[in-house]
Amino acid sequence: MNIDALITYISSTPLTWLLLTLGAFKFGIIIYEKSNKQTLLQPIIVSYLIIMSLILLTDTTYEEYFKGVEIIHFFLGPATVALALPLYNNLKHIKSLFIPIVITLLVAGIFSILIAVGLLYLLGAELPTILSMTTKSITAPIAIITSEQIGAIPSLAVGFVIITGIIGALLGTMIFKMLNIKHDTSKGFALGLISHGIGTARAIEISEKAAAFSALAMGLGGILTAVFLPLIIQVLF
Amino acid sequence: MLKGIITLLSFQFLGECIAKLFSLLVPGPVIGMVLLLLFLMIRKSSFPSLDNAVSNHLRYLPLLFIPAAMGIITQVDIISKEFWAILASLVIGTIIALMFSVKLMDHLTIKQEEKK
Repeated sequence: MNIDALITYISSTPLTWLLLTLGAFKFGIIIYEKSNKQTLLQPIIVSYLIIMSLILLTDTTYEEYFKGVEIIHFFLGPATVALALPLYNNLKHIKSLFIPIVITLLVAGIFSILIAVGLLYLLGAELPTILSMTTKSITAPIAIITSEQIGAIPSLAVGFVIITGIIGALLGTMIFKMLNIKHDTSKGFALGLISHGIGTARAIEISEKAAAFSALAMGLGGILTAVFLPLIIQVLF
Repeated sequence: MLKGIITLLSFQFLGECIAKLFSLLVPGPVIGMVLLLLFLMIRKSSFPSLDNAVSNHLRYLPLLFIPAAMGIITQVDIISKEFWAILASLVIGTIIALMFSVKLMDHLTIKQEEKK
């Protein structure tokens, strides 16, 4: 038996990290379902922590890891295009509340970026962090490709996206009660606009209407941010 | 499902080509997404193999951002240096933004209903 050859193979083939990543994610899904879908036990969080531990334990560099899972990363492109379908399916709802939707989308969308960026600036954060915060409310695939475009750090950006999603999903119901919000459409729209896909998963639990408006807000917010943010940043810097 | 996958990849390809050709700052896949949306609006319906391809892509969406998200291990310096600023921006920023959005939307919705 040639143990050395085996070890060399395992440590050099992209299959190793690909299998570990897929396996960890599947494990994350099982945990999530067993826990009755606890927001804090999202498959992404469980699998992320497992893989990160493995990378650190084995002294693997990010470049080596990324080579193995590049094929997964590739699918962000077609997945972004795929977001057009849920947006199309929910676009019919835009007519019933056209003015509220357009105003909230623009005003609250810009406000949410300004408040996050403003806090970072006041607390002395540096430019790469601030740029990476600008995409925190949009869905991760669009956030990753947009942050690459504006010279932010995609891994920070996607981390901010996930945490923003979780905060919204965890606190949303409490905030809506506190503010005495009347319409499910408002709850869904705010969850989708601020907390993208993770917020939309929560909106599904509120009502079908909330889910539709959440998906609508997530799609429109993602497109507007991806279109205008790079332009604004180019003008500023 | 193949037709659906080809549709997604073609729109992405088209989007990336348009972005390059006109030196646009908008990411190619987002242009592809908008084009697919326009295509569906003109066609007035989706088709089963596209539905399939889309649901398979979106079902495992969080898996797709693990490779990018793992890059955080190269950013330990920034995170430890700016930890409190980042935490405040994420927690306070998100809570205020959520309150503002939901109140604004609810207020505008109620106003529109009163007009009717």
